[in-house]
Amino acid sequence: MSSHYEAPIRRPLIVGDKSYHDITVEVAAPVEGKANKLWWTAFTIALVAFLWGLGSIIYTIGTGIGVWGLNKTVGWAWDITNFVWWVGIGHAGTLISAVLLLFRQKWRMGINRSAEAMTIFSVVQAGLFPVIHMGRVWDAHFVLPIPNQFGSLWTNFNSPLLWDVFAISTYLSVSLVFWWTGLLPDFAMLRDRAVKPFQKKIYSLLSFGWTGRAKDWQRFEEVSLVLAGLATPLVLSVHTIVSFDFATSVIPGWHTTIFPPYFVAGAVFSGFAMVNTLLIIMRKVSNLEAYITKQHIELMNIVIMITGSIVGCAYITELFIAWYSGVEYEQYAFLNRATGPYWWAYLLMMSCNVFSPQFMWSKKLRQSITFSFIISIVVNIGMWFERFVIIVTSLHRDYLPSSWTMFSPTFVDIGIYVGTIGFFFVLFLLYARTFPVIAQAEVKSILKSSGENFKKLRDGNHE
Amino acid sequence: MASNKKYWKSVEELKENSLVVDTLKNNEFVEEIPTDDFLGDKENLEASSTTRRDFLKYVGFTTAAASLAACEGPVVKSIPYVIKPDDIIPGVAEYYATTMADGFDFANILVKVREGRPIKIEPNKEANGSTNARVQASVLSLYDSLRLKGPKANGEATSWDKANEEIIAKLNDVKTAGLPIAILTGTCASPSTKKIVNQFSETFGNVSHVVYDAVSESAALDAFETAYGFRALPDYNFEKAEAIVSIGADFLGDWQGGGFDAGYAKGRVPSKGKMSYHMHIESNMTLSGANADKRVMVKPSKQITALARLYSVLSGGAVTMEFTPLTQAIDIAAKKLQEAGSKAVVVTGIQDEKAQLLALAINKLLNSEVIDTVATKNVRHGNDATVKQLITDMNAGKIGAVIINNANPVYSLPNSTEFVEGLKKVKLSVAFSMQDNETANAVQYALATPHYLESWGDVVIKKGHYSLMQPTIKPLFDTRQFQDTLLTWTGSTASYYDFIKEFWTAEVLNGTSWNQALHDGIFTTEVVEEAESTFDFSTVMKGMEIPKTGDLELSLYIKTGMGDGQMANNPWLQEFPDPISRTSWDNYLTMSKADAAELGVMNENVANGALNGSLVELTVNGVSEVLPVLIQPGQAKGSLGLSVGYGRTQGLKEEMQTGKNAFKFYKDFNTTQTEVSVKVVGGVHEFACVQLHNTLMGRGDIIKETTLEDFNSKDSKEWNKVPMVSMDHKEVEATSVDLWESFDRSIGHHFNLSIDLNACTGCGACVIACHAENNVPVVGKQEIRKSRDMHWLRIDRYYSHEEDFAADNEKKEAGTGVMGYKDTMAELEDPSENPSVAFQPVMCQHCNHAPCETVCPVAATSHGRQGQNQMAYNRCVGTRYCANNCPYKVRRFNWFKYPENSEFDYYMNDDLGRMVLNPDVTVRSRGVMEKCSMCIQMTQATILKAKKEGRPVNTNEFETACSNACSTGAMVFGDINHKEDTVASLTEDKRAYHLLEHVGTKPNVVYHVKVRNTQEA
Repeated sequence: MSSHYEAPIRRPLIVGDKSYHDITVEVAAPVEGKANKLWWTAFTIALVAFLWGLGSIIYTIGTGIGVWGLNKTVGWAWDITNFVWWVGIGHAGTLISAVLLLFRQKWRMGINRSAEAMTIFSVVQAGLFPVIHMGRVWDAHFVLPIPNQFGSLWTNFNSPLLWDVFAISTYLSVSLVFWWTGLLPDFAMLRDRAVKPFQKKIYSLLSFGWTGRAKDWQRFEEVSLVLAGLATPLVLSVHTIVSFDFATSVIPGWHTTIFPPYFVAGAVFSGFAMVNTLLIIMRKVSNLEAYITKQHIELMNIVIMITGSIVGCAYITELFIAWYSGVEYEQYAFLNRATGPYWWAYLLMMSCNVFSPQFMWSKKLRQSITFSFIISIVVNIGMWFERFVIIVTSLHRDYLPSSWTMFSPTFVDIGIYVGTIGFFFVLFLLYARTFPVIAQAEVKSILKSSGENFKKLRDGNHE
Repeated sequence: MASNKKYWKSVEELKENSLVVDTLKNNEFVEEIPTDDFLGDKENLEASSTTRRDFLKYVGFTTAAASLAACEGPVVKSIPYVIKPDDIIPGVAEYYATTMADGFDFANILVKVREGRPIKIEPNKEANGSTNARVQASVLSLYDSLRLKGPKANGEATSWDKANEEIIAKLNDVKTAGLPIAILTGTCASPSTKKIVNQFSETFGNVSHVVYDAVSESAALDAFETAYGFRALPDYNFEKAEAIVSIGADFLGDWQGGGFDAGYAKGRVPSKGKMSYHMHIESNMTLSGANADKRVMVKPSKQITALARLYSVLSGGAVTMEFTPLTQAIDIAAKKLQEAGSKAVVVTGIQDEKAQLLALAINKLLNSEVIDTVATKNVRHGNDATVKQLITDMNAGKIGAVIINNANPVYSLPNSTEFVEGLKKVKLSVAFSMQDNETANAVQYALATPHYLESWGDVVIKKGHYSLMQPTIKPLFDTRQFQDTLLTWTGSTASYYDFIKEFWTAEVLNGTSWNQALHDGIFTTEVVEEAESTFDFSTVMKGMEIPKTGDLELSLYIKTGMGDGQMANNPWLQEFPDPISRTSWDNYLTMSKADAAELGVMNENVANGALNGSLVELTVNGVSEVLPVLIQPGQAKGSLGLSVGYGRTQGLKEEMQTGKNAFKFYKDFNTTQTEVSVKVVGGVHEFACVQLHNTLMGRGDIIKETTLEDFNSKDSKEWNKVPMVSMDHKEVEATSVDLWESFDRSIGHHFNLSIDLNACTGCGACVIACHAENNVPVVGKQEIRKSRDMHWLRIDRYYSHEEDFAADNEKKEAGTGVMGYKDTMAELEDPSENPSVAFQPVMCQHCNHAPCETVCPVAATSHGRQGQNQMAYNRCVGTRYCANNCPYKVRRFNWFKYPENSEFDYYMNDDLGRMVLNPDVTVRSRGVMEKCSMCIQMTQATILKAKKEGRPVNTNEFETACSNACSTGAMVFGDINHKEDTVASLTEDKRAYHLLEHVGTKPNVVYHVKVRNTQEA
């Protein structure tokens, strides 16, 4: 694939006059160099947030779910909002590495490593919530179909929550394997460059004895393709199943057939936004602007714009169907969503998710790094509120008005959420210092076709 | 900081350059440690059987063993029956018939006793007994950890012998001084006690027995005495009534002792096209007003004119008192009363003898069969005049001794400071009290009395209706009954038990068996009418005066949960949501929306939904108190309501010291006060309200209603519409569509609970019964504010936005366009000024297609073969998905560990309080979901009992705690596969419907359409 001809109008994916060695050196630089002050500051902040979250989790488990703001009517709020939010963010990685691999989109190569890392780290955050939201965490293993001596005591396969267990665990394991497979040649590269014996030892363990023989490469390509094939349906299925938590229920505002596609689109939307957030910082800090180019950012922005619009369509469809159904409970649920006590959350969701991505129609704006960064943050705020709106505004006023109430978070709710953000960044920052953050082996494969200098050379020959 | 102190170790240190000191300085150990000797001795070491590795093993083992041994295992205090008592079979409940009589509540009850512990109160149905929320909750007061546990003299614990000796001496002093002795008691209605008091007065001479009710019915008693010659209250059988007109009488509440709801409800269920008509004229929104067909709001002072006008219209006399807004209502009332003739009744709660006489006169005029002036009630006996006289005499030093029993005047008297002053002037003051309350702390001798479940006694609740009280447990503390002590003081050696048995044998039983009477709890005799009344009823209007009115008028009322306040330390009752306001843990000033707007008083919901209210200063006759305001729909403009029973400060836990004492406004024992002013003082009060949304939002399918006219004339499909859904492009009934294949439910038991919305008055006895039966935890005010009440059974109360719910539905339908719809729904959130009210008990609906069951990942909630939706607490991991997916929101989560947690210092936090727990029901742990089980422990017990006796289960033998407690017959439980069970026919009644039928949950709880008798023409 490496020597395919690429049309000159396609903008280069590797900027500057790079050789294979340059790529090696530049990708290895953050791992081999020393961390700067900025990294340590970021890491300290993240660690403090993580420890605060950990404290909040320990307090919750020690005292009871009552330390959260939940009540008899609103049984889920920030916990499941955070869960869905993190799972959603986790979608971009697999989409980039698997779906784009199948579609032969080469621009994925510059970003897939970090996108996948983000996926895994955010799925770890997501996975936390279904566990800690249980009243009796110590019995969490009950949700696994473990053979036991109690006769017919088995999990309930009708429950979407159980499907979640399988969906999330499958997703996490497939993503991890896929990620690691891609990492093998790059770890081997680091191993070969390492001068300290300890590092050499570690990276040789991590690279699973990669030798770089032709056979290795052949198997590598095959496994990547197979895993991409496996992971692609997961991109769709995981958030579909997460949406079933709501769609299969009887609560107006949850009981909606549109949820699976709407959730998947929303997940990709938020995932790409998060990738943008992370990479815009990383390309600067780790001097990777040559590999994560404006072109990459722009393409991501286009995906954000499209998925944002799909999500917007879904919002409008929901409202239309609520009215069209003629069911008063359904109608009221959506009226209340938009105009009830949580109207501000709905407005935030609408403006962040539907309105803000529309700026990306402008080429100038979508090529602006600063603007992309701002929008990426805005989108994730909006997507958090989308889940909050779906969960809380549907529950807080459902069928019987006698049970209607409100929800307000406690410092523990906030602590746990901030804690997961901290945890995520702890993982991501450690990753940025120890892993090859760009799939250099893959990037090298497109150097000759999409590298700026090679393109120039070739285009010059044609003249 | 380092210390500069120098410690001398020896005299040597005084010397300079001492060898010894130098040596010691350089060597920590004076003598060499013989490590070399020890470790160097290779031979010996090798010969030792303990190798280094072994040594480490020993160390490891001992450390582990020591730390394990240091972990203390939980100590479970259980004492086995070495010799089993004959009458106790572990696991089998005993029932004792007894009577509750605490001076405020009187009821024939059955007490369920498990392993020697009374754990639940049930109505004694064979004695026609019925229980309200307070009676149901009274069992918990037995296990009150702050009870008076022994006799006290001047605040110090003493012994009974010593106290008796001292008191007798003082009594003799008083006797010799020739001063009178006053016995101040609550209404006791006990003939044997009266006899003992008589004996006492024979012994000591000059004894007066003053009866005092915290909430007085003196006006009614006086009126009855004037008309019929003896002091009693008439009984009313509302079952016979076809037309009821009440002017300020909350007869479904505690008016004249209450207990009228059963009869009332029977007349309210339409049968053969008829039901009673009920018009209610009042100022506060009460239970009775909420149940009325027509409710008219009027200020308290105008009620007497309304009554007078009604009398004038009925008697055909000159209508002298014109009062315009009520004219029309009074005319309708008069017409309805006349139509019903002798099946009509008028009742009034105006605390005025003349008004009460007027009501008696009207009933006489109507020749009412509803009122019973022969078999009269004895549940209130207090006499305001004698109480006032006593206080005056005490302060004048004219009283030698005051003996108080079963009353807490220091708390409940409006002029309690005067009373306390008076107490200081008497030579001897004694209070018999179960609690260490305000009165017990104000007297010289506080003598601990047992709870009624530990006592003997007799009560004549109603003439000819002799009830017995028997102990169901040995006294928990060093207590003695009032009667026993009085007998001791008179020099008698007999116990009260001997006395009462002798008394009954001689004077009551008429030769029949004492044991039988004790077993039944009741003995009835024929009541013969005493001399016919010679009172000339036509004179009642003479001297009638238009009462004083005020710009603002205060109406004191009794809250269903708290009564007169004697059970204020009962957490069940504190957490019991008021049936009308749905607010718990408080009393508050109820105010109309119009008045609130004028004063700038607000009620608002904070971020988590909890209700806050402005604070105002209420001044009545110069007495002030800062109180929170609750804006109450249906409160007459210009009137205020405030409940008594709160604001107790002594003998109760800090958490229970809720609300403010309203008795201080109870001037002249009149619930209506006209010298009232209100001033906003700023600040807010936090309410603990369990229902934050008050209207039905036009959702007519939640509470279906119709009028008697439609009910009689139209097909049930019109007023009990089955929701339709589209199936294969055809409109079909929602009930006919099914996602699942159903299995055969015709075999075995299939339990259903039927709730008649016509019969349910909203009294809440079922709520407490459920609490007691199912060990439902109390969570406290702050948790209630977070919408975390644990009630398995709640009674939803809805107000209409328009004048009735039908108009709400129409309004909702009429809203057109998106904006129209939005505005309509926003408007519907506000209740009307005088709304129509509906009550709906809601518990787990035990859906045959339960949404909760499908979503639980661990199958902790699943369907029973007998129709129940069951919870396996051990399996629950607490995802709360089931609660989210419950359309009825009946599932309750254990947010914290409620039992044995000092953060929740209610009854489950002390050994004594936990004695009330039902051993048949698990106490749930933190993190699990719980909900109504349809009392599966009761149905299983019934099945097993029948099985053991080798018979099928009898008709209507199945019961749940709520259906058992329901005195109105609104809740009927049973097996629908057993066609003789009442519930089987009720589920097929044309009024029957399921809650949220269109969701397709197929519940096993069935409601009956509420029919209102609105015809006025």
